[in-house]
Amino acid sequence: MKLKPKTLAMILAGGRVDELNVLTCYRPKSAVPFGGFARIIDFSLSNLMQAGLERVAILSQYRSYSLINHIGIGAAWDMLGKYRGVSILPPSTGYGNTSWYKGSADAVFQNSDFIEYHGPDEVLIISGDHVYNMDYQEVIDYHREKDADLTMACLQLPMEKASRFGVADIDDEDGERGGRVLQYKEKPSRPKFNWASLTVFCFKPKVLLDILTVNAREDESFEFGRDIIPRMMYEQRKVYGYKFKGYWGYARTIEEYWQTNMDLLGPNPKIDLEKWGLRTNLDHRNIGDCQPLKVGNNASIQNSLVYNGCVIEGSVENSIIFPGTHVKNGAKVKDSVLYFNNVVGCDAVLEKVISDVNVTIGNEVKIGEPGPAEDKEVTVLGWNNYFPDKLVIGSDCTIYPTLGQEKFMREIKTGEVVR
Amino acid sequence: MKKDNTLVLLLAGGVGSRLNNLVQTRAKPAVPFGGIYRIIDFALSNVMNSGLNQIGVLTQYKPLSLMKHLGTGEHWDFIGRSRGIKILPPRTGSKDSDWYRGTADAVRQNIDFIKAHPSKEILLLSGDHIFRMDFDDMIQFHRRKKADVTIGMMVVPKSEIHQFGAGITNEEGRIVEWEEKPKVPRTNLASMGIYVFDTEYLLSMLNQDREEIDFGMHLLPRAIENHNVFAYPFHGYWRDVGTVQAYWETNMDLLRDDSGIDPEDWGTRPNVEAGVKGVADRPPARFAVGSSVKNSMISAGCIIEGQVVNSILSPGVRVAAGAVVRDSILFNDCTIEENAVVDLAILDKRVHVGRGAVVGHGEDKDTANGENPTHLYTGISMVGKDAEVPENGRVGRNCRISLLTKKEDYPGLELHSGESL
Repeated sequence: MKLKPKTLAMILAGGRVDELNVLTCYRPKSAVPFGGFARIIDFSLSNLMQAGLERVAILSQYRSYSLINHIGIGAAWDMLGKYRGVSILPPSTGYGNTSWYKGSADAVFQNSDFIEYHGPDEVLIISGDHVYNMDYQEVIDYHREKDADLTMACLQLPMEKASRFGVADIDDEDGERGGRVLQYKEKPSRPKFNWASLTVFCFKPKVLLDILTVNAREDESFEFGRDIIPRMMYEQRKVYGYKFKGYWGYARTIEEYWQTNMDLLGPNPKIDLEKWGLRTNLDHRNIGDCQPLKVGNNASIQNSLVYNGCVIEGSVENSIIFPGTHVKNGAKVKDSVLYFNNVVGCDAVLEKVISDVNVTIGNEVKIGEPGPAEDKEVTVLGWNNYFPDKLVIGSDCTIYPTLGQEKFMREIKTGEVVR
Repeated sequence: MKKDNTLVLLLAGGVGSRLNNLVQTRAKPAVPFGGIYRIIDFALSNVMNSGLNQIGVLTQYKPLSLMKHLGTGEHWDFIGRSRGIKILPPRTGSKDSDWYRGTADAVRQNIDFIKAHPSKEILLLSGDHIFRMDFDDMIQFHRRKKADVTIGMMVVPKSEIHQFGAGITNEEGRIVEWEEKPKVPRTNLASMGIYVFDTEYLLSMLNQDREEIDFGMHLLPRAIENHNVFAYPFHGYWRDVGTVQAYWETNMDLLRDDSGIDPEDWGTRPNVEAGVKGVADRPPARFAVGSSVKNSMISAGCIIEGQVVNSILSPGVRVAAGAVVRDSILFNDCTIEENAVVDLAILDKRVHVGRGAVVGHGEDKDTANGENPTHLYTGISMVGKDAEVPENGRVGRNCRISLLTKKEDYPGLELHSGESL
């Protein structure tokens, strides 16, 4: 009998992530578009759906409208039913509880009542900010087998990259599958072990609530990686590491985000959306109403992903094009990611550009320096901008959202920030 | 308020046998169209966009595919306190226990449904057509004219009038004479199979003679003779896709900018969740290095490595390197292996064309199909659901391959133009 779900999933989706720059001016990182039709949080939601974990809470604080709109009623991920559902938990005021979320751990702590109400066997806490495909059920199975207080999924990294992450020292108790976490360090300057935490935490609810209570009372910082895991280790709780071996896409900086997008391309893409079974909410921006992609007589599309609702008349190479975007005759789009409802004018040239929604690029506009993608940085265009005909913009530029025409009366040189 | 409502009845029971292979497993309204749509989506979306909220869908022939497609009706916004969509199949009861014998008979057997949804007018539609129309405007016209019946009519070339019901109107737009599929044309006003009836009037007409089973043949001529029947003039895109040739041409209209068909602009909504793997389960279309696509529509989930010209591809179609698809319509999840050619063909779901095979071989487009000479005679070949075309096989023009045909079923490697399997 599997009626009432035993696992409660909580998604941390509140973060703004400064390094993503103008892409997160109006949305949390989890709602940033990815994969030609979806949002970053869709990876976590689709993973949950495939693991049959459909009782889900989303902790959200920063600019959450885009996210709330995206989740809708949760039906896109089958999270609608008697024992299935998505609850969005924003910060709230109430008796003895009057603050914004002060950190990821505080966000969960402020919703202790929600956890107690559902009374699950385990709480799975995951981040909504990552691109990956993981069977959470395997993590949960391992957690149960070990009767652990906490089981965290980790990925082995080259030692030189480990200093940017919370890293664990995992023994070989269960060989390739996982082992006991012997030590844990948050962003160590000289790492001695290299199993990076992926922010996939399976907790015993009672242990979680106990630790969060102590954290709230005694600490000044309220983050899982920085505070909760070290405290679990300090208290000598039973912490296990699940050794994950799949693809993990980083998107902490614009350059990393661009690279992760490029991992969607090629003959055998590292991110295989079809195999991963990624789903999104097609009601968001009404992309379910789009007709199939229209390809014109002089178009050329090479090594690219293009979704329904686009019209391609020019040339597209190594790029990802979201619904509703129109690439006109003679235009050339290379090594770029164009979000929803862009227009690229006739004979315009885009090289290594990320363009947010509703951007109109005039005829013969040139954005990005010519040449191989690895020799230059990304230019990012904020949403709702109109770039007049024949404008020239260099590489490594940042254009803030919704700017007036007077900002675009001159050439914008490589490296400039226009706000 | 409630009393001013218009109830919609959508006739979706037709066999549409001239569509041949396409209706072997589904009713005509459920035939896929334009990559991600089904024919009935156009009528349903028109109903939704006209602000009408209550709809009954009369089904009879192979309704499963259609019922799955309609689902709860949420994709056309038919869920809510005052909104709803009901499937109305034939059923047995204390009085009526027959299959639907005709359009009027089908409506007559659902008088209980009509009475359960009080309305001022009934809009009677067919789910067989590709068009956009504002039914609200037609209903307002009907009310202004104080008509008993209003018939949606459009101007067609006189040479085509023999396929339609034809109406001869006086200067105020009232129909004074009616001819069903006339051999000699006297007018160019053709019925589109769209009617607005005053509900009370319709009920009384249906009550009079139970042997009157067809609107076009029986009820309308009587109404025109005795009552107020008006022609509502329609100017716009409307196609009956009842034949293979018309079906193919209407699909190809999607690829021409000047044809007047534009589903997205019309607000036509598909059901993105229908099927084992609907549109909602598909990632963006993927284009490999070396692919070439010209003047075509490509749906999400396609993988294109070869060449596609003047064609319409439904979700999940794979065209391997060196393969060519030309002037064709491919349904969901067809696979065209390396160096195969598909030329002027309609491939149903999951057709597998082996390496180096050709569908649409040779230049003999004039030999009509031997079994169905009136269906396949312009060169189009059809391959049924889940059928295979063997490696290096040659399928000519006007050929028909049944659903589920396996490699072993082929007598040799060549199927000549006009042959069937």
